[in-house]
Amino acid sequence: MQGKDRIEGFNKLLSTYLPDRIKKAVSGIKDEYINELEEIRVRSGLPLMGVFSGADYFIGAEGYLSQNPQYALNITEKEVNTLFLLLCEQSIYAYQDDIIRGFVTLKGGHRAGICGTVVYEGDNIKAIKDISSINIRFSRQIKGCACNVFHQLIRNRQDIYNTLILSPPRCGKTTVLRDLCRLISQGNDSNKFEGLRTAVVDERSELAASFRGVPQNDLGPRTDVLDGCRKSQGIEMMLRGMAPQVIIVDELGATGDVDAVKMAWNAGVRIIATAHAFGLEDFKRRLGVGQLAAKDGFERIVILGMDNGKRWAKVMDENGNELSVLAQNNRMSYGLYGERSYGNHSVNQARRETACYIKAHRNPP
Amino acid sequence: MGVPLFAAFKNIGKERIGGIWSEVFIECGNVMKEQHIDAGEAWRMAIESKGVNIPLNESDWQELSDFGEMLGKSDRHNQESILDLEKENLEMMESKAKEAMNTKGKLYKNLGALSGAAAVILLI
Repeated sequence: MQGKDRIEGFNKLLSTYLPDRIKKAVSGIKDEYINELEEIRVRSGLPLMGVFSGADYFIGAEGYLSQNPQYALNITEKEVNTLFLLLCEQSIYAYQDDIIRGFVTLKGGHRAGICGTVVYEGDNIKAIKDISSINIRFSRQIKGCACNVFHQLIRNRQDIYNTLILSPPRCGKTTVLRDLCRLISQGNDSNKFEGLRTAVVDERSELAASFRGVPQNDLGPRTDVLDGCRKSQGIEMMLRGMAPQVIIVDELGATGDVDAVKMAWNAGVRIIATAHAFGLEDFKRRLGVGQLAAKDGFERIVILGMDNGKRWAKVMDENGNELSVLAQNNRMSYGLYGERSYGNHSVNQARRETACYIKAHRNPP
Repeated sequence: MGVPLFAAFKNIGKERIGGIWSEVFIECGNVMKEQHIDAGEAWRMAIESKGVNIPLNESDWQELSDFGEMLGKSDRHNQESILDLEKENLEMMESKAKEAMNTKGKLYKNLGALSGAAAVILLI
Protein backbone atom coordinates (compact mmCIF):
# COMPACT_ATOMS: atom_id res chain seq x y z
CA MET A 1 0.00 0.00 0.00
CA GLN A 2 2.80 2.35 0.81
CA GLY A 3 3.95 2.37 -2.83
CA LYS A 4 0.46 2.96 -4.19
CA ASP A 5 -0.21 5.74 -1.69
CA ARG A 6 3.10 7.29 -2.55
CA ILE A 7 2.34 7.36 -6.27
CA GLU A 8 -1.12 8.81 -5.63
CA GLY A 9 0.38 11.48 -3.41
CA PHE A 10 3.04 12.13 -5.97
CA ASN A 11 0.52 12.56 -8.79
CA LYS A 12 -1.43 15.02 -6.66
CA LEU A 13 1.75 16.94 -6.04
CA LEU A 14 2.53 17.01 -9.75
CA SER A 15 -0.87 18.35 -10.73
CA THR A 16 -0.88 21.00 -8.02
CA TYR A 17 2.59 22.44 -8.12
CA LEU A 18 4.63 21.72 -11.22
CA PRO A 19 4.70 23.95 -14.32
CA ASP A 20 3.65 22.18 -17.54
CA ARG A 21 6.99 21.11 -19.06
CA ILE A 22 8.38 19.90 -15.73
CA LYS A 23 5.12 18.11 -15.00
CA LYS A 24 5.29 16.33 -18.36
CA ALA A 25 8.90 15.29 -17.80
CA VAL A 26 8.38 14.00 -14.28
CA SER A 27 5.10 12.26 -15.06
CA GLY A 28 6.95 10.40 -17.85
CA ILE A 29 9.03 8.56 -15.26
CA LYS A 30 7.65 5.07 -14.67
CA ASP A 31 5.83 4.37 -11.39
CA GLU A 32 8.42 1.90 -10.13
CA TYR A 33 11.14 4.50 -10.49
CA ILE A 34 8.97 7.14 -8.92
CA ASN A 35 9.15 4.92 -5.83
CA GLU A 36 12.87 5.56 -5.75
CA LEU A 37 12.56 9.31 -6.36
CA GLU A 38 13.62 11.31 -3.33
CA GLU A 39 14.09 14.80 -4.72
CA ILE A 40 13.39 16.89 -7.81
CA ARG A 41 15.94 19.65 -8.31
CA VAL A 42 14.89 22.59 -10.46
CA ARG A 43 17.59 25.14 -11.25
CA SER A 44 17.28 28.21 -13.44
CA GLY A 45 19.17 27.72 -16.73
CA LEU A 46 20.26 24.19 -15.79
CA PRO A 47 19.03 20.66 -16.52
CA LEU A 48 16.16 19.12 -14.54
CA MET A 49 17.53 16.59 -12.07
CA GLY A 50 16.12 13.91 -9.80
CA VAL A 51 17.69 12.09 -6.89
CA PHE A 52 16.80 8.38 -7.06
CA SER A 53 17.77 6.43 -3.94
CA GLY A 54 20.62 8.81 -3.33
CA ALA A 55 21.89 8.82 -6.93
CA ASP A 56 21.60 11.85 -9.23
CA TYR A 57 19.99 11.46 -12.66
CA PHE A 58 19.01 14.12 -15.15
CA ILE A 59 15.44 13.95 -16.41
CA GLY A 60 14.57 14.35 -20.08
CA ALA A 61 11.53 16.12 -21.49
CA GLU A 62 9.63 12.81 -21.78
CA GLY A 63 10.82 11.36 -18.51
CA TYR A 64 13.89 9.39 -19.62
CA LEU A 65 16.75 9.35 -17.15
CA SER A 66 20.39 9.91 -17.90
CA GLN A 67 23.62 10.73 -16.18
CA ASN A 68 24.43 12.96 -19.12
CA PRO A 69 22.90 16.43 -18.61
CA GLN A 70 22.82 17.16 -22.34
CA TYR A 71 19.72 14.95 -22.77
CA ALA A 72 17.83 16.61 -19.93
CA LEU A 73 15.09 19.21 -19.97
CA ASN A 74 16.66 22.62 -19.49
CA ILE A 75 14.80 24.78 -16.99
CA THR A 76 14.09 28.44 -17.70
CA GLU A 77 14.12 31.29 -15.19
CA LYS A 78 10.41 31.78 -15.81
CA GLU A 79 9.69 28.14 -14.91
CA VAL A 80 11.54 28.50 -11.61
CA ASN A 81 9.51 31.63 -10.81
CA THR A 82 6.25 29.93 -11.81
CA LEU A 83 7.09 26.90 -9.67
CA PHE A 84 7.93 29.14 -6.72
CA LEU A 85 4.58 30.94 -7.01
CA LEU A 86 2.71 27.64 -7.30
CA LEU A 87 4.48 26.25 -4.23
CA CYS A 88 3.42 29.40 -2.35
CA GLU A 89 -0.16 29.09 -3.61
CA GLN A 90 0.36 32.35 -5.55
CA SER A 91 0.80 34.11 -2.20
CA ILE A 92 4.46 34.67 -1.37
CA TYR A 93 3.61 36.91 1.59
CA ALA A 94 1.66 34.05 3.22
CA TYR A 95 4.74 31.79 3.18
CA GLN A 96 7.19 34.51 4.18
CA ASP A 97 8.06 32.96 7.55
CA ASP A 98 8.84 29.64 5.86
CA ILE A 99 10.75 31.29 3.02
CA ILE A 100 13.17 33.09 5.30
CA ARG A 101 13.92 29.72 6.93
CA GLY A 102 14.85 28.42 3.47
CA PHE A 103 11.97 26.08 2.72
CA VAL A 104 8.26 25.82 2.12
CA THR A 105 6.26 22.94 3.61
CA LEU A 106 3.77 21.47 1.17
CA LYS A 107 0.58 19.55 1.65
CA GLY A 108 1.40 15.87 2.16
CA GLY A 109 4.47 16.66 4.24
CA HIS A 110 6.71 17.30 1.25
CA ARG A 111 9.12 20.17 1.44
CA ALA A 112 10.63 22.58 -1.08
CA GLY A 113 14.03 24.04 -0.28
CA ILE A 114 14.76 27.34 -1.98
CA CYS A 115 17.83 29.33 -3.00
CA GLY A 116 18.07 32.86 -4.31
CA THR A 117 19.28 36.25 -3.20
CA VAL A 118 19.01 36.77 0.54
CA VAL A 119 17.82 40.18 1.79
CA TYR A 120 18.87 41.18 5.31
CA GLU A 121 17.28 43.62 7.72
CA GLY A 122 19.82 44.17 10.47
CA ASP A 123 21.06 40.72 11.45
CA ASN A 124 17.92 38.92 10.36
CA ILE A 125 16.94 37.54 7.00
CA LYS A 126 14.01 39.57 5.74
CA ALA A 127 13.34 37.82 2.44
CA ILE A 128 14.77 35.64 -0.31
CA LYS A 129 14.22 37.11 -3.76
CA ASP A 130 15.24 36.17 -7.32
CA ILE A 131 14.73 32.48 -6.66
CA SER A 132 17.30 30.45 -8.62
CA SER A 133 16.93 26.86 -7.34
CA ILE A 134 14.17 24.78 -5.83
CA ASN A 135 14.61 21.32 -4.36
CA ILE A 136 11.36 19.43 -3.85
CA ARG A 137 12.01 16.70 -1.27
CA PHE A 138 9.44 13.96 -1.03
CA SER A 139 8.30 13.06 2.42
CA ARG A 140 8.39 9.39 3.31
CA GLN A 141 7.25 8.18 6.65
CA ILE A 142 8.52 4.64 7.13
CA LYS A 143 6.21 3.08 9.65
CA GLY A 144 7.87 0.30 11.60
CA CYS A 145 11.42 1.40 10.90
CA ALA A 146 12.08 2.04 14.60
CA CYS A 147 10.39 -1.07 16.02
CA ASN A 148 13.56 -2.89 17.03
CA VAL A 149 15.14 0.22 18.50
CA PHE A 150 11.92 0.94 20.39
CA HIS A 151 12.07 -2.41 22.23
CA GLN A 152 15.37 -1.34 23.76
CA LEU A 153 13.98 1.93 25.06
CA ILE A 154 11.10 0.60 27.15
CA ARG A 155 11.70 0.90 30.92
CA ASN A 156 8.37 -0.67 31.90
CA ARG A 157 4.85 -0.79 30.55
CA GLN A 158 4.24 2.87 31.41
CA ASP A 159 7.66 4.39 31.05
CA ILE A 160 10.57 4.74 28.66
CA TYR A 161 14.20 5.76 28.98
CA ASN A 162 15.42 9.27 28.20
CA THR A 163 16.96 8.63 24.82
CA LEU A 164 19.40 10.43 22.54
CA ILE A 165 19.74 9.43 18.89
CA LEU A 166 23.06 10.38 17.30
CA SER A 167 24.28 10.18 13.72
CA PRO A 168 25.91 12.16 10.95
CA PRO A 169 23.49 13.83 8.48
CA ARG A 170 21.41 11.63 6.11
CA CYS A 171 21.59 8.49 8.27
CA GLY A 172 17.91 8.53 9.16
CA LYS A 173 17.75 10.22 12.58
CA THR A 174 14.57 12.12 11.90
CA THR A 175 12.90 9.12 10.23
CA VAL A 176 13.65 6.91 13.24
CA LEU A 177 12.60 9.64 15.69
CA ARG A 178 9.30 10.11 13.86
CA ASP A 179 8.53 6.40 14.07
CA LEU A 180 9.57 6.23 17.73
CA CYS A 181 7.12 9.05 18.44
CA ARG A 182 4.32 7.09 16.76
CA LEU A 183 5.19 3.91 18.68
CA ILE A 184 5.47 5.65 22.06
CA SER A 185 2.20 7.48 21.51
CA GLN A 186 0.13 4.52 20.33
CA GLY A 187 1.58 1.86 22.62
CA ASN A 188 2.42 -1.66 21.65
CA ASP A 189 0.52 -4.83 22.57
CA SER A 190 3.42 -7.21 21.97
CA ASN A 191 5.59 -5.25 24.41
CA LYS A 192 2.68 -4.66 26.77
CA PHE A 193 3.62 -1.02 26.52
CA GLU A 194 0.82 1.45 27.14
CA GLY A 195 0.88 4.55 25.02
CA LEU A 196 2.11 7.78 26.59
CA ARG A 197 1.01 11.38 26.17
CA THR A 198 3.62 12.68 23.75
CA ALA A 199 4.50 16.27 22.92
CA VAL A 200 6.50 17.13 19.82
CA VAL A 201 8.33 20.45 19.57
CA ASP A 202 8.78 20.51 15.80
CA GLU A 203 11.10 23.46 15.31
CA ARG A 204 11.86 22.74 11.66
CA SER A 205 8.46 21.22 10.81
CA GLU A 206 10.12 17.97 9.80
CA LEU A 207 8.63 15.50 12.25
CA ALA A 208 4.95 16.22 11.82
CA ALA A 209 5.34 18.18 8.57
CA SER A 210 2.32 20.26 9.56
CA PHE A 211 0.48 22.01 6.77
CA ARG A 212 -1.89 24.72 8.01
CA GLY A 213 -1.79 23.19 11.46
CA VAL A 214 -2.57 19.64 10.38
CA PRO A 215 0.26 17.09 10.84
CA GLN A 216 0.85 15.30 7.54
CA ASN A 217 2.65 12.40 9.22
CA ASP A 218 1.17 9.91 11.67
CA LEU A 219 2.75 10.64 15.05
CA GLY A 220 0.31 8.56 17.07
CA PRO A 221 -3.02 9.17 18.80
CA ARG A 222 -1.68 10.77 21.99
CA THR A 223 0.59 13.31 20.30
CA ASP A 224 0.41 17.09 20.44
CA VAL A 225 2.56 19.12 18.03
CA LEU A 226 4.00 22.59 18.59
CA ASP A 227 5.06 23.56 15.09
CA GLY A 228 7.84 25.98 14.13
CA CYS A 229 8.74 26.76 17.76
CA ARG A 230 12.26 26.92 19.16
CA LYS A 231 13.04 23.86 21.29
CA SER A 232 14.06 25.88 24.33
CA GLN A 233 10.75 27.77 24.37
CA GLY A 234 8.62 24.91 23.10
CA ILE A 235 9.67 22.46 25.81
CA GLU A 236 8.69 24.96 28.51
CA MET A 237 5.39 25.73 26.79
CA MET A 238 4.56 22.05 26.49
CA LEU A 239 5.42 21.41 30.15
CA ARG A 240 3.17 24.23 31.29
CA GLY A 241 0.28 23.68 28.96
CA MET A 242 0.00 20.10 27.77
CA ALA A 243 1.13 17.88 30.69
CA PRO A 244 3.08 15.47 28.50
CA GLN A 245 4.75 12.27 29.69
CA VAL A 246 7.29 12.37 26.87
CA ILE A 247 8.68 15.29 24.87
CA ILE A 248 10.23 14.69 21.46
CA VAL A 249 12.65 17.12 19.80
CA ASP A 250 14.87 16.92 16.74
CA GLU A 251 18.45 18.17 16.56
CA LEU A 252 19.53 19.40 19.96
CA GLY A 253 22.38 21.85 19.69
CA ALA A 254 21.51 25.41 20.75
CA THR A 255 22.77 26.56 24.13
CA GLY A 256 19.24 27.16 25.42
CA ASP A 257 18.32 23.53 24.71
CA VAL A 258 20.28 22.26 27.73
CA ASP A 259 18.27 24.17 30.33
CA ALA A 260 15.01 23.25 28.63
CA VAL A 261 15.84 19.51 28.62
CA LYS A 262 16.88 19.68 32.27
CA MET A 263 13.66 21.49 33.10
CA ALA A 264 11.70 18.61 31.55
CA TRP A 265 13.72 16.02 33.48
CA ASN A 266 13.12 17.92 36.72
CA ALA A 267 9.41 17.75 35.96
CA GLY A 268 9.63 13.97 35.54
CA VAL A 269 9.04 14.14 31.80
CA ARG A 270 11.06 11.90 29.46
CA ILE A 271 12.95 13.34 26.52
CA ILE A 272 13.60 11.61 23.22
CA ALA A 273 15.94 13.72 21.10
CA THR A 274 18.36 13.59 18.19
CA ALA A 275 21.62 15.40 17.54
CA HIS A 276 24.25 15.50 14.82
CA ALA A 277 27.32 13.57 15.98
CA PHE A 278 29.56 10.78 14.77
CA GLY A 279 29.37 9.00 18.12
CA LEU A 280 28.85 9.40 21.84
CA GLU A 281 32.32 10.78 22.54
CA ASP A 282 31.92 13.26 19.70
CA PHE A 283 28.64 14.46 21.23
CA LYS A 284 30.09 14.70 24.74
CA ARG A 285 32.74 17.10 23.45
CA ARG A 286 30.05 19.53 22.26
CA LEU A 287 29.93 22.75 24.20
CA GLY A 288 26.74 22.96 26.23
CA VAL A 289 24.64 20.05 24.97
CA GLY A 290 27.49 17.56 25.50
CA GLN A 291 26.77 17.55 29.23
CA LEU A 292 23.36 15.99 28.56
CA ALA A 293 25.07 12.68 27.79
CA ALA A 294 26.99 12.70 31.08
CA LYS A 295 25.92 10.96 34.30
CA ASP A 296 22.25 11.56 35.19
CA GLY A 297 21.64 12.57 31.59
CA PHE A 298 20.27 10.49 28.72
CA GLU A 299 19.89 6.85 29.73
CA ARG A 300 19.89 5.29 26.28
CA ILE A 301 22.03 6.36 23.35
CA VAL A 302 21.16 5.20 19.83
CA ILE A 303 23.90 5.64 17.24
CA LEU A 304 22.87 5.41 13.58
CA GLY A 305 25.41 4.96 10.83
CA MET A 306 26.02 3.77 7.31
CA ASP A 307 28.93 1.68 6.01
CA ASN A 308 29.29 0.92 2.32
CA GLY A 309 25.65 1.80 1.77
CA LYS A 310 24.42 -0.38 4.64
CA ARG A 311 22.64 1.20 7.56
CA TRP A 312 23.18 0.07 11.13
CA ALA A 313 21.97 1.10 14.58
CA LYS A 314 23.68 0.60 17.91
CA VAL A 315 21.85 0.98 21.24
CA MET A 316 23.92 1.77 24.35
CA ASP A 317 23.21 2.47 28.00
CA GLU A 318 24.26 5.66 29.76
CA ASN A 319 27.73 4.22 30.44
CA GLY A 320 28.36 3.51 26.79
CA ASN A 321 27.83 -0.27 27.13
CA GLU A 322 26.42 -1.77 23.95
CA LEU A 323 23.00 -3.33 24.42
CA SER A 324 22.48 -4.33 20.81
CA VAL A 325 23.66 -3.72 17.29
CA LEU A 326 21.06 -3.78 14.57
CA ALA A 327 22.30 -4.15 11.01
CA GLN A 328 20.50 -4.29 7.73
CA ASN A 329 20.93 -5.70 4.27
CA ASN A 330 20.24 -2.78 2.04
CA ARG A 331 20.89 0.92 1.93
CA MET A 332 17.30 1.80 1.22
CA SER A 333 15.33 -0.66 3.32
CA TYR A 334 15.54 -0.36 7.05
CA GLY A 335 16.27 -4.06 7.46
CA LEU A 336 16.02 -5.06 11.07
CA TYR A 337 14.29 -1.83 11.94
CA GLY A 338 11.37 -2.96 9.79
CA GLU A 339 11.28 -3.89 6.12
CA ARG A 340 9.97 -1.27 3.79
CA SER A 341 8.12 -2.56 0.77
CA TYR A 342 6.21 -1.16 -2.14
CA GLY A 343 3.38 -3.63 -2.63
CA ASN A 344 4.84 -6.58 -4.53
CA HIS A 345 7.84 -4.62 -5.62
CA SER A 346 10.85 -5.14 -3.40
CA VAL A 347 13.34 -2.35 -3.05
CA ASN A 348 16.15 -4.43 -4.51
CA GLN A 349 14.05 -5.35 -7.51
CA ALA A 350 13.10 -1.71 -8.01
CA ARG A 351 16.73 -0.68 -7.81
CA ARG A 352 17.79 -3.32 -10.34
CA GLU A 353 15.04 -2.27 -12.72
CA THR A 354 15.87 1.38 -12.25
CA ALA A 355 19.44 0.65 -13.29
CA CYS A 356 18.23 -1.28 -16.37
CA TYR A 357 15.80 1.47 -17.27
CA ILE A 358 18.42 4.13 -16.94
CA LYS A 359 20.84 2.08 -19.05
CA ALA A 360 18.21 1.51 -21.72
CA HIS A 361 17.37 5.18 -21.88
CA ARG A 362 20.87 6.51 -21.70
CA ASN A 363 20.69 7.46 -25.37
CA PRO A 364 17.26 8.96 -25.76
CA PRO A 365 15.41 8.72 -29.09
CA MET B 1 1.78 30.65 7.58
CA GLY B 2 -0.49 33.50 6.53
CA VAL B 3 -3.76 33.31 4.68
CA PRO B 4 -3.16 32.68 0.96
CA LEU B 5 -4.89 34.90 -1.56
CA PHE B 6 -7.49 32.39 -2.70
CA ALA B 7 -8.72 32.03 0.89
CA ALA B 8 -8.53 35.80 1.51
CA PHE B 9 -10.65 36.48 -1.59
CA LYS B 10 -13.23 33.91 -0.50
CA ASN B 11 -13.33 35.22 3.07
CA ILE B 12 -13.83 38.79 1.85
CA GLY B 13 -16.61 37.63 -0.47
CA LYS B 14 -18.39 35.77 2.30
CA GLU B 15 -17.82 37.96 5.33
CA ARG B 16 -16.37 41.37 4.57
CA ILE B 17 -18.13 42.67 1.53
CA GLY B 18 -21.72 42.46 0.46
CA GLY B 19 -23.75 43.08 -2.62
CA ILE B 20 -22.57 42.55 -6.13
CA TRP B 21 -18.84 42.38 -5.35
CA SER B 22 -19.31 39.42 -3.07
CA GLU B 23 -19.74 37.00 -5.96
CA VAL B 24 -16.73 38.42 -7.79
CA PHE B 25 -14.44 37.87 -4.81
CA ILE B 26 -15.72 34.35 -4.16
CA GLU B 27 -15.37 33.45 -7.84
CA CYS B 28 -11.83 34.85 -7.89
CA GLY B 29 -10.88 32.73 -4.87
CA ASN B 30 -12.42 29.63 -6.41
CA VAL B 31 -10.68 30.12 -9.75
CA MET B 32 -7.31 30.63 -8.04
CA LYS B 33 -7.75 27.52 -5.92
CA GLU B 34 -8.99 25.23 -8.67
CA GLN B 35 -6.89 26.37 -11.60
CA HIS B 36 -3.68 27.30 -9.76
CA ILE B 37 -3.44 30.60 -11.61
CA ASP B 38 -2.24 33.96 -10.31
CA ALA B 39 -4.45 36.62 -8.78
CA GLY B 40 -4.30 38.92 -11.82
CA GLU B 41 -5.63 36.31 -14.22
CA ALA B 42 -8.17 34.98 -11.71
CA TRP B 43 -9.45 38.50 -11.01
CA ARG B 44 -9.95 39.22 -14.71
CA MET B 45 -11.80 35.91 -15.16
CA ALA B 46 -13.97 36.62 -12.13
CA ILE B 47 -15.04 40.10 -13.23
CA GLU B 48 -15.73 38.80 -16.72
CA SER B 49 -18.00 36.06 -15.42
CA LYS B 50 -19.56 37.62 -12.31
CA GLY B 51 -19.13 41.36 -12.76
CA VAL B 52 -21.24 41.89 -15.85
CA ASN B 53 -24.03 43.60 -13.93
CA ILE B 54 -21.83 46.02 -12.02
CA PRO B 55 -22.50 49.55 -13.31
CA LEU B 56 -19.02 50.84 -14.16
CA ASN B 57 -17.78 52.57 -17.27
CA GLU B 58 -15.08 51.33 -19.62
CA SER B 59 -12.19 53.26 -18.07
CA ASP B 60 -13.17 52.08 -14.58
CA TRP B 61 -13.16 48.48 -15.80
CA GLN B 62 -9.77 49.04 -17.35
CA GLU B 63 -8.42 50.25 -14.01
CA LEU B 64 -10.03 47.42 -12.10
CA SER B 65 -8.82 44.68 -14.43
CA ASP B 66 -5.27 45.33 -13.24
CA PHE B 67 -6.31 45.16 -9.58
CA GLY B 68 -4.91 41.69 -8.87
CA GLU B 69 -1.87 41.84 -11.13
CA MET B 70 0.76 42.38 -8.45
CA LEU B 71 -1.00 40.58 -5.61
CA GLY B 72 0.76 37.60 -4.09
CA LYS B 73 4.03 38.12 -5.93
CA SER B 74 6.13 39.66 -3.19
CA ASP B 75 6.62 39.77 0.56
CA ARG B 76 4.20 41.24 3.06
CA HIS B 77 5.85 44.66 3.24
CA ASN B 78 5.76 45.07 -0.52
CA GLN B 79 2.19 43.79 -0.72
CA GLU B 80 1.08 46.37 1.83
CA SER B 81 2.58 49.14 -0.30
CA ILE B 82 0.84 47.78 -3.40
CA LEU B 83 -2.49 47.62 -1.61
CA ASP B 84 -2.07 51.14 -0.20
CA LEU B 85 -1.51 52.37 -3.73
CA GLU B 86 -4.47 50.39 -4.99
CA LYS B 87 -6.63 51.82 -2.23
CA GLU B 88 -5.62 55.39 -3.13
CA ASN B 89 -6.40 54.67 -6.74
CA LEU B 90 -9.85 53.32 -5.89
CA GLU B 91 -10.56 56.27 -3.62
CA MET B 92 -9.71 58.64 -6.46
CA MET B 93 -12.06 56.74 -8.73
CA GLU B 94 -14.68 56.90 -6.01
CA SER B 95 -14.37 60.66 -5.61
CA LYS B 96 -14.61 61.16 -9.37
CA ALA B 97 -17.73 59.04 -9.37
CA LYS B 98 -19.16 61.09 -6.52
CA GLU B 99 -18.71 64.25 -8.59
CA ALA B 100 -20.76 62.67 -11.30
CA MET B 101 -23.27 61.36 -8.79
CA ASN B 102 -26.32 62.59 -10.61
CA THR B 103 -25.66 60.41 -13.58
CA LYS B 104 -23.99 57.43 -11.82
CA GLY B 105 -25.85 57.32 -8.54
CA LYS B 106 -24.85 53.84 -7.44
CA LEU B 107 -21.36 53.73 -8.79
CA TYR B 108 -19.37 55.34 -5.98
CA LYS B 109 -20.85 52.93 -3.47
CA ASN B 110 -19.48 50.02 -5.49
CA LEU B 111 -16.01 51.49 -5.67
CA GLY B 112 -16.06 52.43 -2.02
CA ALA B 113 -16.79 48.84 -1.04
CA LEU B 114 -13.96 47.63 -3.26
CA SER B 115 -11.39 50.00 -1.78
CA GLY B 116 -12.39 48.74 1.67
CA ALA B 117 -11.78 45.19 0.49
CA ALA B 118 -8.34 46.09 -0.81
CA ALA B 119 -7.38 47.21 2.65
CA VAL B 120 -8.36 43.96 4.35
CA ILE B 121 -6.88 41.41 1.95
CA LEU B 122 -3.70 41.03 3.96
CA LEU B 123 -5.28 41.55 7.32
CA ILE B 124 -7.40 38.40 7.44
